[in-house]
Amino acid sequence: MSTLTIDAIRKSYGAIETLKGINIDLASGEFLVLLGASGCGKSTLLNIIAGLAEPTSGDIRIDGRSIVGMHPKDRDIAMVFQSYALYPNLTVHRNIGFGLEMRKVGAAERDRAVHETARLLQIETLLERKPAQLSGGQRQRVAIGRALVRNPKIFLFDEPLSNLDAKLRMEMRTELKRLHQLTKTTVVYVTHDQIEAMTLATRIAVMRNGRIEQLGTPEEIYNRPATLYVATFVGAPPMNLLAATAQAGRVTVDGTGIALALPGLEAVPAGRRLVLGVRPEAVGQAGEGIGFSARCEVAELTGPERIVTASVGGQRIVAALPAAARVEAGDDVTLHVDPASFHVFDAETEARLN
Amino acid sequence: MSSTWMTTRAWLLMLPLLAIMIAVIGWPMADTVRLSFTDAKLVGLGGRFVGFDNYVKMLTSGNFQRALYATTWFAVVSVTAEMVIGVLAALLLNQRFYGRAVLRALLILPWALPTVVNATLWRLIYNPEYGALNAALTQIGLLDSYRSWLGEPGTAMTALILADCWKNFPLVALIALAALQAVPRDITSAALVDGAGPFARFRFVVLPYLAGPLMVALVLRTIEAFKVFDIIWVMTRGGPANSTRTLSILVYQEAFSFQRAGSGASLALVVTLIVTVLAVGYGLLVRRAAGSAA
Repeated sequence: MSTLTIDAIRKSYGAIETLKGINIDLASGEFLVLLGASGCGKSTLLNIIAGLAEPTSGDIRIDGRSIVGMHPKDRDIAMVFQSYALYPNLTVHRNIGFGLEMRKVGAAERDRAVHETARLLQIETLLERKPAQLSGGQRQRVAIGRALVRNPKIFLFDEPLSNLDAKLRMEMRTELKRLHQLTKTTVVYVTHDQIEAMTLATRIAVMRNGRIEQLGTPEEIYNRPATLYVATFVGAPPMNLLAATAQAGRVTVDGTGIALALPGLEAVPAGRRLVLGVRPEAVGQAGEGIGFSARCEVAELTGPERIVTASVGGQRIVAALPAAARVEAGDDVTLHVDPASFHVFDAETEARLN
Repeated sequence: MSSTWMTTRAWLLMLPLLAIMIAVIGWPMADTVRLSFTDAKLVGLGGRFVGFDNYVKMLTSGNFQRALYATTWFAVVSVTAEMVIGVLAALLLNQRFYGRAVLRALLILPWALPTVVNATLWRLIYNPEYGALNAALTQIGLLDSYRSWLGEPGTAMTALILADCWKNFPLVALIALAALQAVPRDITSAALVDGAGPFARFRFVVLPYLAGPLMVALVLRTIEAFKVFDIIWVMTRGGPANSTRTLSILVYQEAFSFQRAGSGASLALVVTLIVTVLAVGYGLLVRRAAGSAA
């Protein structure tokens, strides 16, 4: 149960700046997900928190105490790696207890802690095995156990589920959520998977090119993306983006002649290039709102939904319709969007305008 | 095509090579075995069949026992030193520092030199009149007067071992360095976060990845050290007072200097047997190490 403060962290490798001033304040028990594509700096930030890399400038504090320059072992953090990073020649029991062993915790006390952790993770029967004799999911549980057993102030996860197959990844995601609800330890979790971010986080920091693009709750990130990048990174299928132009307080969708009066855009000068975002699930076949005449190009049934890719005035729009929707390729359809569900971005600065 | 034809064809294709192998290895081997049961000389014809006489004489002779001892001493000390120095050098060269690439390239130099060049070089260093070792030790005050390092039975073997180490530790270092580079960074990081110090990290993180490759280096070096000939022949010819006479030197002297082909052959076969036992034993060890690492 600890707070974590990341204060103006910068990191340069030679002339290349991989972190350009990161500020995050975490309350005790928060689950922060650092979300971004590879190369955005999220793993570097995690390594700096762990002490595996030092920042060029800035400060990191746990419970108000600076930990910059401190040896990793003295920071009271535990880390789970993408590759599991188990010690290949030690048994599961010793792998889990390794941190305690290195900290000179007595054998009896260690054994008790290892068994308790193993029970929590349902790997008690595996304690005498070597890592090579375990499946990927079991190895990941051992890696989590090794972190859990030390009861650290902060948990760090570096893409822990990336090496698992889809089904196992879902199971372990739920498992991680359960463990966090149980232990209430502060967590920093790195991933490029937006579903993991949405489901696990209390807050998400979307990172891009060494900067935080947006820091907010999953709801904020999803419902009010601050930039075009965040809007397209989170959500599957991704948000539709329609080219539009500001005209006398209204927004004209290019190629359609449809003009929308959207609140909050009164001050935008006429002629400004805009991007109109709308999530596929906000596009319906019936109901209120603006109607677009569209022609269906592809209809894909996923099971619960029918994903329809259609053309609107030369622009492409994807709608997630109910599975029962009777739309086939070549059909002319009218798609409805509630004006309130439009996200408006400046095409040049990529910032949200409404 | 039937499998019988495939097998026949395979044998047909291999036949020329087999014929050459039999001619240049198989026949001399067989002839050596035959010779070892005779009292044949190097020159002249035939020789009488003498049964196990050569073997009995040789195994009970002081020369053989002293040579076996000298060989074992040379092999154990030089290989141990090479392994330790090699691993330490590899650990050092695995650190990040300025000029590392140059040092890594330089490392291979002693090993790349022909043994005869290396041996000649060390003979110069050990030279009793103008050798660099004498000069260096006298100048820093560790030595009162010049010594004949290769001329005294008490120091000749140690001097040889030193020269052999200098030549062969780079091989161990290169193998160890390659293994070190295969240690996953995540595991090293995990050990750091877990609070493992340098020794624990070496013991639990590095060593498991080093063990297999090092075993291979150990096998190679031990077998080579056991049949060592060239470096000793160039530096001491087995002297002084036979203090550096190893098994291979003894075989050479017996067969070629004393021209006793029969007993030379029996001696050579015993050396071959010892090396084969070592090779098979180590082979089993390597397989076990590989099995436990997987």
